Amino acid sequence: MASYSRRRATNIVALSLAGFATFIGLFFLAAILVTLIVYGAPAITPKIFLQNTPPPGSDGGLANAIFGSVAMTVIAIIVATPIGILAGTYLAEYSRGSKLGEAAKFINDILLSAPSIIIGLFIYTVMVVPFGHFSAWAGAASLGLIALPVINRTTQDMLGLVPNALREAAAALGAPRWKTMTHVIYRAAGSGILTGVLLAVARVTGETAPLLFTALNNQFWSTDLSRPIANLPVVIFQFAMSPYNDWQRLAWGGALIITAAILVLNVTARLLSNIGASK
Amino acid sequence: MAVTLDMSAPAGLVSEKQARRSIRADRAFFLLTLGSATLVVVMLLGVMVSLVIGAWPALAKFGFSFIWTERWSPVKEIFGALAPIYGTLVTSAIAMAIGIPISFGIAIFLTEICPQGLRRPIGIAIELLAGIPSIIYGLWGFFILAPFLQTSVQPFLINTLGNVPVIGVLFGGAPYGIGLLTAGIVLAIMVLPFITSITRDVFLTVPVLLRESAYGMGMTTWEVVRNIVIPYSRVGLVGGIMLGLGRALGETMAVTFVIGNSHRISASLLSPSTTISAAIANEFTEATGQLYTSSLVALGLILFVITFAVLAAAKWLLIRTELK
Repeated sequence: MASYSRRRATNIVALSLAGFATFIGLFFLAAILVTLIVYGAPAITPKIFLQNTPPPGSDGGLANAIFGSVAMTVIAIIVATPIGILAGTYLAEYSRGSKLGEAAKFINDILLSAPSIIIGLFIYTVMVVPFGHFSAWAGAASLGLIALPVINRTTQDMLGLVPNALREAAAALGAPRWKTMTHVIYRAAGSGILTGVLLAVARVTGETAPLLFTALNNQFWSTDLSRPIANLPVVIFQFAMSPYNDWQRLAWGGALIITAAILVLNVTARLLSNIGASK
Repeated sequence: MAVTLDMSAPAGLVSEKQARRSIRADRAFFLLTLGSATLVVVMLLGVMVSLVIGAWPALAKFGFSFIWTERWSPVKEIFGALAPIYGTLVTSAIAMAIGIPISFGIAIFLTEICPQGLRRPIGIAIELLAGIPSIIYGLWGFFILAPFLQTSVQPFLINTLGNVPVIGVLFGGAPYGIGLLTAGIVLAIMVLPFITSITRDVFLTVPVLLRESAYGMGMTTWEVVRNIVIPYSRVGLVGGIMLGLGRALGETMAVTFVIGNSHRISASLLSPSTTISAAIANEFTEATGQLYTSSLVALGLILFVITFAVLAAAKWLLIRTELK
């Protein structure tokens, strides 16, 4: 057995390395955020929210891209939320212990971590090829398909936290099961489920890969959901890779907007789940 | 599923009509939830089927040799997946080599060393790394990390490790800035929060009794981690690593920015390459001709099969530690 001083030295070295690893992790977070602010903040002017994406070499904003992103996210979440909550309800409440339910949970978790570009390929095959052109609908569908497993999973987790006594109490009062669910259980798990929806919004907001070949991009203001639509992530990608200074500046501005939005959503979701937990 | 009615309708309190309506509503609600759950399963099957159908023309033409052909020539319509597969595996391997020790370090710090009051804020900060979208990592990697690596780190690697026999091949060539190594480093930062949070959670499943007994025997903190905590949570740790690996394999935008998009296999880690997801992201909308598109979908199918296997293994391991 090694001497005590040797063991102590090993201990100090190992623990310092652990501390250093934490420093590295925090350093990268700070480095990324600082970069975003330094490069992005100068681009944040009223213009960026009011003007459309410019042609190369001239000044403009990101209004059409912001609108496109918001529109597709809203549609995706409106469709995915009820389906996700109901699916989560089945898996948490009705299929307890059944083999089929376990398989469905497993598949949902696979879908949750599946590469988003694969989801994009799938939506391209079923929604872009048959109609012959890219569209905002296809973009929204791919985002919805990414949000669905997130909402499904959090609903399962949150319903699992609701004490059984509540279900039994409702049943003892003579409430049918659907009424127990909608009037008692959903209310008890409400803030948790809402957290899940917010996290899904945060996840979907930054998604780029599936939009590349579903929503594509559009240089102009468009509200026609059956046509290609501009959206922040794809515009950032395109502008950042371009050689034009104006475009790169806008890309950084867009990146700052997106990251700020996502961090706010994440923090809100956390606060909400804290409120839910302390109730 | 309508059994609740036995309790909900004592004779005389609820009319038969109300009771029947209640049964019907219960049935409808049940079917609605069942339908939604089924839809999720159908979606995954749909993804699989559509990938196989889309990839069929390419697979029929090239057969299994698609997997081990390096050549990728859209002009001559010859496509092989070896270079993107190689790029995907190598970047993920680099990401794991860098990401795992750092994640473990952070998890050890958070569970064993960190003062109680700082645990939550630091934990949240690390988790925020997971919230930053991949395109931001790409942007940062391309404009900040790649130039930094090109001017300071890579020349150093070429001049030192590049001259060492055997491993020197890995660090040969010119410092491009973008390439396999840069992509691997960006991926390492991206998988950090995933591996860290699972590692921390499985570390916390170690019974306090075991931990305290070890300390009582006179072990140092590091010895407790090494000899008690890690062996106890072994299976869960591997599960967490696999989950991170699944992320790294499928990551698209961050890699697309910094990989250089070149369908070539070279020994050096500093050279530009491509990955499956980057190839699809870069070329899909510009692909002309059915065979080109189909070959890209076939790449997607390969990626799906690999990630499915890795994620399924991760899930299985994590279920075994009863941490889902």
